[in-house]
Amino acid sequence: MLRATLKGMAARKARLALTSLAVVLGSAFIAAALVLTASIQSTVDDLNGASYADAEVLVRPVEPETRGERLVREGVSAETLAAVEATEGVGDVSATVYWMINAIGDDGKVVGGFAPTLAVNWGDRSTDRDLREGRAPETDREVAVSAEFVTDAGLGLGDTVTAYSATTDKTEYAIVGVYGYPGDRDSLGGETELAFTTAEAQRLVFDGENVYSMIAVDAAEGADTDELLAAIQATVGAEAEALTREAYTAEMSAETAEATSMIGKFLLGFGLVAVFVSIFLIANTFTIVIAGRLKEIAMMRAIGAGRGQIVRSVLAEALLLGAIASVIGAAVGVAGGAVLTTVVADSLLTAGSSSLAIPPTAVIAALAVGIGVTVLSALVPAVRASKIPPVQAMRDAVKADKPITGLTATGVVVTLAGAAAMALGLTERLGSDDADLMAAAGGAGLVFIGVTLLTAWLSKPLVGALGLLWSWSFAGKLGRRNAGRNPRRTAVTAAALMIGVTLVTATATLLTSVKESLRDYYEDNVEAELFVSGPLTASVTPSFDPAVMDEIRAVDDVDAAVELYYDLADIDGTEQYVNTTTDFEGIIGLFGGEFAEGETTTLADDEIAVNRSAADQLGVGVGDTVTATFSRGEEPHEFTVTAILVDNENTDGWYVAPAYTEEFYTTKPTMALVDVADGGDVAAVTAAVDGILADEPEVSVLNHEEFTEQATVFLDYAIIAIQLLLGLAMVVAVIGVVNTLILSILERTRELGMLRAIGMTRGQTTRMVTVESVTIALFGAVLGIGVGLALGWGLQNALAERSIDVFAVPTPLILGYLVAAVLVGLLAAIAPAVRASRVDILSAIAYE
Amino acid sequence: MPLATPPAPQRLRTGARAAVTASGLWRAYGSGEAQVVALRDVSVAFASGAFTAIMGPSGSGKSTLMHCLAGLDTTDRGTVEIGGVSITGMGDKVLTKLRRDKIGFIFQQFNLLPTLTAEENILLPASIAGAKADPAWIHQIIATLDLQDRLSHKPTELSGGQQQRVACARALATRPEVVFADEPTGNLDTRSGTEVLRFLRKSVDDFGQTIVMVTHDPTAAAHADRVVFLADGQIVDDLQAPTADTVIDTMRGFENHAPIAGEAR
Repeated sequence: MLRATLKGMAARKARLALTSLAVVLGSAFIAAALVLTASIQSTVDDLNGASYADAEVLVRPVEPETRGERLVREGVSAETLAAVEATEGVGDVSATVYWMINAIGDDGKVVGGFAPTLAVNWGDRSTDRDLREGRAPETDREVAVSAEFVTDAGLGLGDTVTAYSATTDKTEYAIVGVYGYPGDRDSLGGETELAFTTAEAQRLVFDGENVYSMIAVDAAEGADTDELLAAIQATVGAEAEALTREAYTAEMSAETAEATSMIGKFLLGFGLVAVFVSIFLIANTFTIVIAGRLKEIAMMRAIGAGRGQIVRSVLAEALLLGAIASVIGAAVGVAGGAVLTTVVADSLLTAGSSSLAIPPTAVIAALAVGIGVTVLSALVPAVRASKIPPVQAMRDAVKADKPITGLTATGVVVTLAGAAAMALGLTERLGSDDADLMAAAGGAGLVFIGVTLLTAWLSKPLVGALGLLWSWSFAGKLGRRNAGRNPRRTAVTAAALMIGVTLVTATATLLTSVKESLRDYYEDNVEAELFVSGPLTASVTPSFDPAVMDEIRAVDDVDAAVELYYDLADIDGTEQYVNTTTDFEGIIGLFGGEFAEGETTTLADDEIAVNRSAADQLGVGVGDTVTATFSRGEEPHEFTVTAILVDNENTDGWYVAPAYTEEFYTTKPTMALVDVADGGDVAAVTAAVDGILADEPEVSVLNHEEFTEQATVFLDYAIIAIQLLLGLAMVVAVIGVVNTLILSILERTRELGMLRAIGMTRGQTTRMVTVESVTIALFGAVLGIGVGLALGWGLQNALAERSIDVFAVPTPLILGYLVAAVLVGLLAAIAPAVRASRVDILSAIAYE
Repeated sequence: MPLATPPAPQRLRTGARAAVTASGLWRAYGSGEAQVVALRDVSVAFASGAFTAIMGPSGSGKSTLMHCLAGLDTTDRGTVEIGGVSITGMGDKVLTKLRRDKIGFIFQQFNLLPTLTAEENILLPASIAGAKADPAWIHQIIATLDLQDRLSHKPTELSGGQQQRVACARALATRPEVVFADEPTGNLDTRSGTEVLRFLRKSVDDFGQTIVMVTHDPTAAAHADRVVFLADGQIVDDLQAPTADTVIDTMRGFENHAPIAGEAR
């Protein structure tokens, strides 16, 4: 029996190879994900291990209770540094000052986007810095820059660079040196760095305070690390925290592990989608293979093979196919993971070398998933094969389509059950968040499966309707009818594309709805026509000189221009967003804010205003007192709540008098609203403000549309990332459609021969097959778009209370999906169409 | 199969133009030791408006002859003319068009498209050509074949005889120069087979259709005006106005001395 199986497989190499491609893809993604995650982690660990390489003990400021940006205010004082130096067993001591700053590049723009620009004090020992050109900075107006900075900023030795921090004004520095890192690297992890004198670094980072970000301590000859650690901790007391370098490295690794596991999960998700989609493909192939062997199987049954033997023979084939495919997949995945690691290490970490880690789990998972999925997918076709009656061997195989009533009924029930679960979960009727989430996610999954079951039923009307597109051509008409001929097969084939398109459509619909809701919200609630703000992706919150506000107010047609400062402050022991502005009444008016209690137009220095839910969170009302400490504030301040605002996303948060901006983390305004007079020339105002902001590289003037774009840029990244999924689904879909078409052509050889005999040209034959292919692919896409829109609509409705109240259809993307489906159809049609047009008429119509 | 064959009048129209002519046809398959010569120097002409049967035992080359005549197979040597035009050496495109416009086919297996209704199947050649069929003509064929009530049925809803009648209508729909029928009754019961043969006969008599039919059934051959006998790739006899009995006699005559060649396709 096994030999028969093997011989059978050898005879169907091409089809099996195509099918196994899907399994290969799935297991490769899984293996690659795990290899990449492990390798990046190990690479980053190597990098982390290199920092403070010759220190035994590190001393850093104690983290405040409420984190956020208040952290930066903290430093280890010069007194503590002196005390550490005086501690017994301490050898060399070095102190580091570092934090993010802004530098302006050759193009007048702020250097870097996601990757930060860091200020550091030259001579610290966080890492070795090797001067490649020039010398170390000696005065406060000199700077040495990393080689990466030279590349990114377009500035080099002898040039002047403008740099500033959140608290300092723009200052010009002469670049006197360019340095690299050990291993001839330009950067440690993609960041750019500027090394100043210690005093200048402290001015930039700590507003001139004589404190440090980190103290690195060498042990004196013969000193024990543990004793040294204890001694230093005793010396620094509560002001700072001492830890061994190993502990510090471990902490850093744990932090990067979070980021790397995100990438890993993303790839893993792709792998799982590929695997899910390939279930249909594999099941379909086995059904096809068995359909082609009806007589053979019946004959085996007739000569005495038991049902179990038939099932086992099919499963043996699946096992072998799964094993071969997943071994290849695991190998491809490991290789791909290695390549990806190098790419990621080069581009994201700019690490000259990467260390490859191949965890055994990567190989095991790839093999287990690949083999498991293949065998599971073959189970139904195998059982079906075993039910073929022996008498089938004697008569011509008549393939009457089994009725799809049962399938359809099940599909309807499952879809409705899924929709109900989703509705329950999304409307939060189940009491707990976890239960709601489970119900929503599980419901979505059920809807998915339900619709997949319904595809056979849906294929008749939909394929018929889609086929009307080609009704102008006779070959097209025939192709359309062929596509509708075997609803089950068409359905399973289209399912691969449907799943991919459903996922991307649902996601894109939701994200587009979020965007549109936001845009509508601004449109309805924000009086001001123009915003001044900077990108959210910047590492240092974009801000601008408040002096420009007067210039903006002086522009013709500008009714009002109000700037906004914000800080993440500690209020009554909780982290809260605090805003301030020189024109409280203006900001509330322009943002469409309303008072719920105690209306006021200005705030005195001891007054504070807040929105309803934030007030409720702290349990305070008008007349109550709160205590607030700002990011850079040394002392807490007491405020009396004088007004409560109606909840409104734009005005939510706390408001204090502008007297406190110096204590905010960002001491400059981060945003401004510009209200253009009714009938005023918005374009002219935009141009004028643009000119005023010429020296403010971080911010620009934006209309509502542009501001929404800027505020939702992270959604765009998510939308792009999710499109990659579609690409993967498309590959699998092409394989599936090719498989189905080849089978159909094999089955219809006689028909094709007849058509060619009575005068159908090769071109017409090709067109007929292509139309069938494109129709199936479009069917999958249309179904996917339909289900995706429905899911997206469900999600949007569920989130309507969280102000995602606009349902927006991502029309261009959806059109793109349709085009992609046509491409899938065309691509998949190539080989089958050629095959169909080359059908040998004589052997096709020969009988006996 | 005792079937009353109508008395056979002299039906050959002497001096009629030849619809299909083959001269000096050679066709061999395979090479070397395994070579099988299916046709050896076959020359034959089929008169326009006549019903000719090609008979012969299995492997005699009758199907090969028909395939070569219909432009479905190529010849090694010799020429084939259809309606006075030589088709030998024509490219696939031209041949396909020729088959579409000048030739009708009736197959043993009916070969109807299961996705199309009977009427759509009848109109298939015209549809492929992107042309409009002559409605009066189509109506006439349908009426003659008694298919009026079956037009909207799919092939799976038709009996074998009905399917073959649809196939006949399809073959005649474009008024081809010649209809090639390959064992048209091979898959039918006697009654249905006779119906089909009567129609073929009628289409020759009433519409002047040219028909070339390959068969191994003497009764079927008896419906023809003329029977050409093939054995071992050669024409061994040519019988005018055949009856079932004369056909059987003729076959017996040459079967006794002609060796049965191996399978020729």
